[in-house]
Amino acid sequence: MVSGTVEGERYFDRVVTALVMFSVIWAVLGMTVGVYIAAELIWPTLDFGLPWLSFGRLRPLHTNAVIFGFGVSALMGTAFYSVQRTSHVPLYAPRLAWFCCYAWQFTLLLGGLSLLAGWNTSKEYAELEWPFDIAITVIWVCFAIVFFGTIARRRIKPIYVSNWFYGGMIIVIAMIHIVNSLAIPVTISKSYSLFAGAQDAIVQWWYGHNAVGFLLTGGFLGMMYYFLPKQADRPIWSYRLSIVAFWAFTYSYIWAGPHHLHYSSIPDWVQSLAVAMSLILLAPSWATMINGIMTVSGASQKLRTDPALKFIVLSLAFYGLATFEGPMLAIKSVNVISHYTDWTIGHVHSGALGWNALITFGTFYFLVPRLVGTVLYSVRLANIHFWMALAGTMLYILAMWGAGVSQGLLWLSLDEIGELSFSFKDIMASMPPYYALRFVAGLVFLLGAVLMTYNLYMTIRGRRTIHVRPPAVTSHQV
Amino acid sequence: MKTVISSWLLFRLLFQPTAVFEELSETRPEPHSVFLKFVVWLAIIPPVFAYIGASNFGWRLGAAEPLFMPSGDLILVSIIYFFALLFAFVSTAVVAQWMATTYGARHSLGIHFALVTIIAAPLVVGSAIHLFPHVFLNIVVLIPALMWSMYLLYRGLPIVLKISPERGMLMASALIGYLLVAAVSFLGLTVALWGQGIGPSIGI
Repeated sequence: MVSGTVEGERYFDRVVTALVMFSVIWAVLGMTVGVYIAAELIWPTLDFGLPWLSFGRLRPLHTNAVIFGFGVSALMGTAFYSVQRTSHVPLYAPRLAWFCCYAWQFTLLLGGLSLLAGWNTSKEYAELEWPFDIAITVIWVCFAIVFFGTIARRRIKPIYVSNWFYGGMIIVIAMIHIVNSLAIPVTISKSYSLFAGAQDAIVQWWYGHNAVGFLLTGGFLGMMYYFLPKQADRPIWSYRLSIVAFWAFTYSYIWAGPHHLHYSSIPDWVQSLAVAMSLILLAPSWATMINGIMTVSGASQKLRTDPALKFIVLSLAFYGLATFEGPMLAIKSVNVISHYTDWTIGHVHSGALGWNALITFGTFYFLVPRLVGTVLYSVRLANIHFWMALAGTMLYILAMWGAGVSQGLLWLSLDEIGELSFSFKDIMASMPPYYALRFVAGLVFLLGAVLMTYNLYMTIRGRRTIHVRPPAVTSHQV
Repeated sequence: MKTVISSWLLFRLLFQPTAVFEELSETRPEPHSVFLKFVVWLAIIPPVFAYIGASNFGWRLGAAEPLFMPSGDLILVSIIYFFALLFAFVSTAVVAQWMATTYGARHSLGIHFALVTIIAAPLVVGSAIHLFPHVFLNIVVLIPALMWSMYLLYRGLPIVLKISPERGMLMASALIGYLLVAAVSFLGLTVALWGQGIGPSIGI
C-alpha cells in the first residue's frame, strides 16, 4: 500500500457509464417480456402458436434478462465505481473491466436467443446451457480479478463494508454457479447434470437460494452500503453492526436452500435445518435494514432536493417485508399452503421490484448525473416514477397474495366424503381476474422504468463521462 | 389544547383532510378515550360485515362452489379477526410512538392513536365489501381504500406530528415497512391456523 497519488491518475468511470446504460436497456427489455407473459396467462393465444413466443421459453428470458442483465450489469457497474472510491485507487486491469462489460452483454444476448430457441437445462435461474455456463465462469473470474486486484492495490487500509458484500457475492456466485452447472454435454445445445434425483434438487436449490442470497441480497446490500451514506451525506449509522451483519448473513444464508424442497423426497432433517437457518437469517437481514433506516433518518433535508433518496428509503421498507416473508414462508406449516401457489411469485416480486429495482433506480438517479457532471434532466419525472414504482409494486404483491392464498386453500379443500373439492383446472380457470390485476401492476412498473430511461437518456445525451482524480490519502488513513 | 376528538372529525376527513389534520395537530387526545370511543368500534365493523357475508353467502374464491364454514368456526374466526384488528391498531400506534423519537415527532401516545384511527378509516369503510364475500371483489374494492389510507398517512403524518414533510416522508415509509410486515404476518398466521383445523376444512 502506497500513500499519495500518481500524477495524471484518474478513476476509470467510462466502463461504469456503459454498464449502467446496458443495465437500463435490460431492465426495460426484461420487464417488457415479464408484462407480455403476464398477458399470456390471461390471454393464452398471445403466443400465436409460435414456440419461441410460448410462456415456457419467454419466462426464463424474463428472469435471465432482469436478474443477469439488469441486476448483474448494475452490480458490476456500481462495484467498479465504488471499489475505486473506497480504495482511493483506479481500477486494476481496466481493459479486463471492459472485457467483463461487453462479454457479459454478448453472452446474455446470445443466451437470451438460445432460450428463445428452446435450449434449456431445466434448472431454474440456471437455464442457460453449458457453452454459456463456461462463458459466464470466465467473465466472472475476470470480474473477480478486476475487483480484488483493485482492493489489493488500495491506498486505505480498512476494506469498506460495501466491498465485503460485493466480494462475498463474487466468491459465492462463482462457487455455486460452477458446482450447479457441472454437467455432461451431449450436443452443443444439450447437457445432463452431473447430479441426479434428490441430490440434483438439493444442489439446484443450494444454487437457487444463494443466487437470491448473495446476488440479489448481498450484492445489492453492497450497493446500499456505498450509495446510501453517499446520498445521505453521513456515515453509516453503526459500522460495527454492518460488519457483524455481514458475517452472520454469510454464515446463515448458505444453509437455507432446502426450504424450497419442503415435503419432497429430500431428508427431513435437511428440511428442518433449512427452516432453522431461515429463521436465524432474519436477524442479520433486519440488522442491515435498521442500519439503513437509521442512517437516512438524520438526512431528511436531502429529500427536499434529491429524488433518488426516496427510492432507497422505500426499498428498505420492501427489503424488510421480503426478508420477513421469506423465513415465514419457510416454516413448514405455512409452506404447506403457500408452496406451488402465486404467493411465491408475489414474494419474489416484493423483493425484486420493491427492493432490487427500487434501490437500483435510486442509485442510477444519483449516479448518472455525477458520472457525466451535470444534474438530473427532470426531478419531476423522477418523482412521478417513484409513485408509479410504489403503486406497481403494491398492486403486484396484493394481486399475488390474493391469488396465492386462494389457490392454497382451494387445492387442499375437501368435500363431505373427504375428496378434493376442486380440480386444478377449475382453480386455474378462476385466476384471470388476479392475473389481470398483476398485468396492470407490471405495466405501471414498466412504464415507470421507461420514464426513468428517458430521464437518464436526456441527462446523459451529448455528454461524456467526466474525469475524477483519486484524492490524496493522509497519513492516518494509510 | 383540546383533549377530545369528535366523531364529526372522521366524516370531515372525506372532504377536508388537510383541515382535519391541522385541527388534530392542535389537540392532545387521551389514548384510552380514543381507544374506547373510536378504535374498538371501528375494529368491530369489519368482522361483523365478514360474519354476515360469510354466513349468508359463503366465501367465493373464484371456483364454482362458495365455501361455507360451520357457524361455531365462523364466530371464532370473526372474533380472532376482531382481536387481530385491535392488535393492529394498538401496535401500529405504539410503533409510531417508538419511531417518533428518531424522527423528532410528537411523542404523546394519544395523538398516535388518533392518527392511526384516521389512517385506518378508509379501510374500515371499504370493509363493507365483506358483505359480498368474493375474494377478488374484496381485493378490487380494498385497493382504492388502501391507496386512500396511504395518501392520508403520507399527507397527514407530518402535519399531525408537527415535523417537516421530508421527515414525515421518512417516518411514513418506515411505518409502511412495519405495516407490510404486519400484513404478511397476518396472512401467515391465518394459513397456519387453517393447518391447525381452525377455519375451512382442508386436507392436511
